[in-house]
Amino acid sequence: MASLHITRVKREFREVVSSEEAQKSQIKIEIIDESDLTKLKGTVIGPPDTPFEGGTYILDIRIPDTYPFNPPKVKFVTKIWHPNISSVTGAICLDILKDQWAAAMTLRTVLLSIQALLQAAEPDDPQDAVVAKQYKGDPELYRKTAKHWAQTYAGAPKTTDDAEISAKIDTLLQMGITETKAREALSTHSWNLEAAVDSLFT
Amino acid sequence: MGYEVERFVGVVDEELFCPICGLVLDSPLQIKDCEHCFCGSCIEEWLKHQRVCPVDRTPVPPSCEGSSLTSALGPAPRILRNLLSRLRIKCENEVFGCQTVTHLEGLQLHLNQCEYNPRRPVECDRGCGSVVPMDELTQHNCIKELREKITNQSLVIKTLSDQVSILQQELSDQRQEMTILKELVRSSASSSSNSLRHTLSLLPPLPPLSSASPSSVSSSQSNYPDEVEHAIQTSQWLSLLRPARIRHWGGIISTPDSILQSIIRQALSSSGCPQYLLVELMANAHERRWPPGLSVLETRQLNRSRYEQYVTKQVPGKQAVVIMASENEHMGDNMIVSPGMVIIFAHGVD
Repeated sequence: MASLHITRVKREFREVVSSEEAQKSQIKIEIIDESDLTKLKGTVIGPPDTPFEGGTYILDIRIPDTYPFNPPKVKFVTKIWHPNISSVTGAICLDILKDQWAAAMTLRTVLLSIQALLQAAEPDDPQDAVVAKQYKGDPELYRKTAKHWAQTYAGAPKTTDDAEISAKIDTLLQMGITETKAREALSTHSWNLEAAVDSLFT
Repeated sequence: MGYEVERFVGVVDEELFCPICGLVLDSPLQIKDCEHCFCGSCIEEWLKHQRVCPVDRTPVPPSCEGSSLTSALGPAPRILRNLLSRLRIKCENEVFGCQTVTHLEGLQLHLNQCEYNPRRPVECDRGCGSVVPMDELTQHNCIKELREKITNQSLVIKTLSDQVSILQQELSDQRQEMTILKELVRSSASSSSNSLRHTLSLLPPLPPLSSASPSSVSSSQSNYPDEVEHAIQTSQWLSLLRPARIRHWGGIISTPDSILQSIIRQALSSSGCPQYLLVELMANAHERRWPPGLSVLETRQLNRSRYEQYVTKQVPGKQAVVIMASENEHMGDNMIVSPGMVIIFAHGVD
């Protein structure tokens, strides 16, 4: 008989595939390599009425040997602007992936919890301090930035075309900065071009 | 870890799955507070990581000092166990060809007997008689197996023989002590204070030394083993007998008849001779039981000059003497038998 973590993954994979949420294309799980079931690719769709609406977020899932006694290791591959997710590394700050893990939880409940996190951020328990500060200090700017990131990286539909943002990025591009770096610098400095330039050149 | 659902015939209810391993419950236990059930092995492993219910995070009280962590756990409800035991499961040796389908409760019983079980113990048929798991039979080496057995048995034998030598040493020590004790008893009876003191100096501080006189010995004799008690009785009796004076050694009756023997036996018995000693002494009242130096006419004539060295005690009122081995060790084995002998005379004893 295969070891417990592999047996569980097989069963949970089937559970996600046949789940109601998967039918509605809200979550998805894929096996990267049939011979190694400890590395999986997860997908969650950005929930409605959020800056992430319609975005497709890819997750990197690693199953430890001690699963399900220890939680899976999950991080965002798709770049995202969110107080509880690192805008640089994709690391997630979510209690059930840490000390609040319970063995009866599954990959399905993990994916749904991550989706719920996109719906209801916890700025008081941040993973990305810059984003959290913006979220609390200037919610409108936060939504604008998060939506821009969702459209750029997660393929969210472009409902508004913000010419101002594009122009500022173009300015930095002409200075020889890569697009990703330009966007990160501008987002971090509340789209203040001078502050972004200062941070990039000092 | 539970049973793979594919092994069951028919549908297994969702309630019968373990929330931890996701398989059909095996030896289920429940958390007493929240009543959630899990495979016994799964929940015990989980509680090593976190002491909360894996389903609803109810805190599970820590185990008391000394008791196992199962104290917060109890057996799953009877109805759940009954439902599980009714499930029909295929034998795990299906891959080896077993077609058996059994109720879950009878699975273990079947596995012990399943002829497809690769681990089933079988006897080697090449003559060594070892019992080995079936799947190891092809690699089984009779000589290696037997050699191992011999090595193990040699170890056992060595241990046993070591024990034997220890016991033999103890026995020999005890014999030596016994000899010393006998010597003490003898000395106390002959009331020779010099030899008593000599014997006492040989003794380990084991026997009660206060009892030097025969009367005090007899009062405490119940504390001694039989042999010592006999020795005490013997010396008491001997001390009452008079030394014999033999005027004419030529009067020995070497083959006394049974009437004569019974007369002497009577006399010895009424003198207080202990019963066990009486039997042996009377058996030694005939030349056929005498030592080589006395047993035939020729040797008697040869040793005649040594007769005077015997320490003899007279059988009261009779023409007969008792010659005890304990009083005649100076005569040597050729002239004395243990524990002593009786010589009856036709005449010449005062």
